[in-house]
Amino acid sequence: MFARALREERRGLIGWSVGIATYCVVMLSIFPTIHDNRAFAKIFEAYPEVFRRLFNVTDFTTGPGYLGAEIFSVVAPMLLTLFAILWGSDLAAGEEDRGTIDLLLANPVSRRRVVLEKWSALAVGTLGLGAVLEATLGLLGPLFSLSVGWAGLSAAVIGSAAFALAFATLALAVGASSGSRGLARGVATALAVASYLLSALAPLVSALQRVVGLSLWDQALGHQPLTTGLRLGSLGVVMVVVIVLVAVSVWGYDRRDLAT
Amino acid sequence: MVPIALTGVTKVYRGGGGVRDLTLEVDWGEVFGFLGPNGAGKTTTIRLMLDLIRPQRGAVRLFGLDARRDAVAVHRRLGYLPGELALYERLSARETLAHVARLRGGPDEATVERWASELDLELDRPVRALSRGNRQKVGLVSAFMNEPDLLVLDEPTVGLDPLVQRTVHQRVREVAASGRTVFLSSHVLSEVAEVADRVGLIRDGRLVAIERVSDIRARALHVVDVRVGSTATLAALDALEGVTVRQRVDHGVRLEVVGGLNPLLAALAQLDVLDLSVHEPSLEDVFLSYYDGVSR
Repeated sequence: MFARALREERRGLIGWSVGIATYCVVMLSIFPTIHDNRAFAKIFEAYPEVFRRLFNVTDFTTGPGYLGAEIFSVVAPMLLTLFAILWGSDLAAGEEDRGTIDLLLANPVSRRRVVLEKWSALAVGTLGLGAVLEATLGLLGPLFSLSVGWAGLSAAVIGSAAFALAFATLALAVGASSGSRGLARGVATALAVASYLLSALAPLVSALQRVVGLSLWDQALGHQPLTTGLRLGSLGVVMVVVIVLVAVSVWGYDRRDLAT
Repeated sequence: MVPIALTGVTKVYRGGGGVRDLTLEVDWGEVFGFLGPNGAGKTTTIRLMLDLIRPQRGAVRLFGLDARRDAVAVHRRLGYLPGELALYERLSARETLAHVARLRGGPDEATVERWASELDLELDRPVRALSRGNRQKVGLVSAFMNEPDLLVLDEPTVGLDPLVQRTVHQRVREVAASGRTVFLSSHVLSEVAEVADRVGLIRDGRLVAIERVSDIRARALHVVDVRVGSTATLAALDALEGVTVRQRVDHGVRLEVVGGLNPLLAALAQLDVLDLSVHEPSLEDVFLSYYDGVSR
């Protein structure tokens, strides 16, 4: 079932890999122009503080600064997350919707095993897509005179993949408990975006600062892992959330009537 | 432990439908035909046995095991053909069956191929390119190929051509002959009567009758046309037990006979019979007339 789930998603995985790699290459190819032009640095220095915080614009002309602003501030983690949510929402609810669940569960496999194996495929696939992101930036970066340490890059990719996996697992849990793909996608996407906004706006809105810890985005990516490296405590928080959501998926799927 | 034991099983849906207070036992070596119109609760009953849905009341036990708690152990010994069969569209028939075989721990590919050739199924075409009948064959092979102790088939011959239907019926009888059990649903009595030992009739979610097929046949109604030399002598037939005169025609009558034909034949022996024809009883008519009686 694990292999089957990965195979079924192989087109999606390949397509998204190509898409993310292409996006990275395009962004990398622009870097030399920015890097060599002092005027850009001046422009960004002139931007208001609010803007710089919101879009994570710091030292734009250095490699890590550029990647942090252009790739890891929103786009790459959100692309990973979108892909993973779409897949996660389909894992349990999709087979029910298409009616293939009768054929699958007639075999000597428990519902728990179905959920766990499918989730494992989701985790491996999401990490795989993260590896594509890391390989593209790490290997092709030097060609565009952008160098960034592997440690920082890995930390940022791991943070992004962890965030993506958390909300994909949420999509799996909602889909497994309700049988509805649409609901799973809606809930997971809305909360992922809310989580990002909470983290991005907290530095500007003092009322949000007390609750920013609730944002998984803040936990996974808020500390600028590209420059500060892995923060195991925060990653641990995200992983605990993932494990709880896996348990909810199993429980929600096991207790329910499956649709015809 | 009997392969199927349902006790007071109730599963009612909010919008209506479902099954109520279903009690039923099916024994080893038996083909049980589960008969009823569409929407009567056949598929609900079957999906309850498979633990795809759970009853609100009552117990579903297969091989003496609980359908829910021991689902994995039960499914190891059970082959299932869903009524609304949905397959993985992107896989070929071969890949689909290999996937099932991996999950079940068998059988080998040669066995799959033997079943496929018997049902005349092309294994290497993608499922989405298959006709309704060929999809059904994929489902049938996946149910039969492991020689399970219990086969649960929901409308197994829908979409199949008559030749393949006959093969399936033959296989079903062989399964029972080897001491294993088949539970098969259908909305067509003739199919059930052909393969089943007993028939359960479900209507509006309630099991209204369980009968041996041989008993239904015995109760069958014969239509007999008699022509005699002298119509005056026909009056003697009116008094016969189980015989009803339906229609008088020139030099004869059309009779309906319930039960055996012997009393009528004995009476006819006294008459000057010119012509006699007995029409095969249609099991469909017999059962359904009884069925209508129940529903009223």
